Amino acid sequence: MLPRADDEVSGPIISQVRRFAARAIDARAIDRDAAIPREVLSGLAELGLFGLTLPEAFGGSGCSLATACGVIAELARFDRSVAVTLGLHLGLGTRGLTAFGTRAQHERYLPGLASGACLAAFAATESGAGSDLSTLQTNASDVGAGLRVNGEKIYVTNGGLAGLYTIAVATPGLGGSARGQSLLLIERGDPGLQVAPEEHKLGLRGSSTTGLVFDSMLLPHERVLGEASGGARELGIILSWGRTLMSAGCCGAARAALEKVASHLSTRRQFGRPLAALEVVREQVALLTARVFAMEALVDEVSRESEKALLVRSLAAKVFSSEGAWAIVDGAIQLHGGLGFIEDTGLALLLRDVRVTRIFEGANDVLLAHLGASELLQTSPPPRAALSEATASAALASAAAALASASPEALASPSAAALASASPEALASAAAGAEALAQQVDALQKSLQARFRIGVFRQPRWLHRLGAACVWREAIDAALRRARASGRADEVAQVSLLTQAARAAVSTLSAEPPPRELYDLCLRESLPRPEGR
Amino acid sequence: MRPDPTATVDDRVLYIISQLVPVQPSQIRAEQRLREDLGMDSVGSMELLSMLAEELDLDIGVEDITEVHTVGATIALAKTFLARKAG
Repeated sequence: MLPRADDEVSGPIISQVRRFAARAIDARAIDRDAAIPREVLSGLAELGLFGLTLPEAFGGSGCSLATACGVIAELARFDRSVAVTLGLHLGLGTRGLTAFGTRAQHERYLPGLASGACLAAFAATESGAGSDLSTLQTNASDVGAGLRVNGEKIYVTNGGLAGLYTIAVATPGLGGSARGQSLLLIERGDPGLQVAPEEHKLGLRGSSTTGLVFDSMLLPHERVLGEASGGARELGIILSWGRTLMSAGCCGAARAALEKVASHLSTRRQFGRPLAALEVVREQVALLTARVFAMEALVDEVSRESEKALLVRSLAAKVFSSEGAWAIVDGAIQLHGGLGFIEDTGLALLLRDVRVTRIFEGANDVLLAHLGASELLQTSPPPRAALSEATASAALASAAAALASASPEALASPSAAALASASPEALASAAAGAEALAQQVDALQKSLQARFRIGVFRQPRWLHRLGAACVWREAIDAALRRARASGRADEVAQVSLLTQAARAAVSTLSAEPPPRELYDLCLRESLPRPEGR
Repeated sequence: MRPDPTATVDDRVLYIISQLVPVQPSQIRAEQRLREDLGMDSVGSMELLSMLAEELDLDIGVEDITEVHTVGATIALAKTFLARKAG
């Protein structure tokens, strides 16, 4: 789980959330009705969850991002729409206000937000500005009596429920900046605000998604959140919280899928044998298990980072957990056979709900290129697990074999065998694998620097590949640190197994891709290359 | 419009910046900050230097980079590398 069950702060809160969710949340009903029942939202409020990360002075609990991630992951095991609604409120919705708001803004808004009487939303995306926030068209200009706001936002999560919106707008000239962006606080009742109808979506149907229209709104100057035209920096900090919380939701969804797999496989028989005894099945489940473990390790670790480190590491957590959740739910459906395609299992809903996480809060392809570029700009290396000198690949193989031969129950819940301590050889082997992976990533980076010089920043294909390699390294390092801390044999084996997959992936990423001209030729008729940049 | 190869370094730098941010070259001034005034993040400023190296045929390594914060500093950096290239 995420974080560990023995976490003193998070453990009791998460247990409460689990009991509430098991009793009150009906995911299929929420999906069918495309709405979260009022009783569920009021139940979350009674548990104090809307104020979880808000300051105690204003009715919140003052808990950390890590604790909030634990709660969101737990809720996502039961229903992703509920998790997204609360996660958006705690992250994108209120982080800016908490971190950059004035005393007066805190006094006006935080008590209602903490009690759950008022929900928060965040609006940055526009029809012409998705992952590129430097091209915002919604703007605010100083007209003396206040700020005149015009424009439109789309895909606003919690848009139909919120009483307070934090919006990102272009503010040319404000604060002396020629082309700055600012964050503004908009109240639901502000004249000139129109909330568009609910969108009909593939998944997350219980989560509200609307557009917002700002029609010549006049806002008092006091509604600027943080520094006028300092929005780009503030936006980065807010988004890093949002991404991390969303990543936690992915962990919860993946864990739920894995639980369904274990439950199904432990009872189902094929070819006269339990499915859980088939080698091909066991290999697949072991890899899915290892991936969920690494997702939880990475997201938990990232959620405890400093604000500065969170800016970059949340990108890796977001990409790894959203891609992982998609692969795990897809794998879970495959392992269920035809049954997985039936809504009753809950897997179809998990799949539909998880799909958008690879897109929103920064499309993964965009984030990967950004990560690759950030890696090249890094002056100090990222944190690494202390590495052993041992390099025996035989031990790596034996660790993987130990997992493959574990009892079916061990895959579903920690048994005595799984909780047994890992041998020093297995630990050393896992560490050696992680080190070898890190060296592969370093080699890729150095080769790109030597080949392209500064021009590497104009090589999006390679930046994307380097970013993807970095994601693997980050995930394996975090998983290794968590496994080493627990010393559990199953977790160390999972790290070893996943490291093999990671090293194969990074080898592919490091290979020379087919020339651009080949792609152009393939697309000559259907999608000719546009002129210009 | 793209400046010809005989244009001044300043004009060529301003043109490149205008390719990265939606601002006309005539509106860009030396004292403007890449991040706060032109909305360019750290990766964007590296892309700017990358385009500069390509446009002016400069050999700049990633390890040579010192972060530039203003338009004027970018122009100065370009001139430094041009002088180095000239020997």
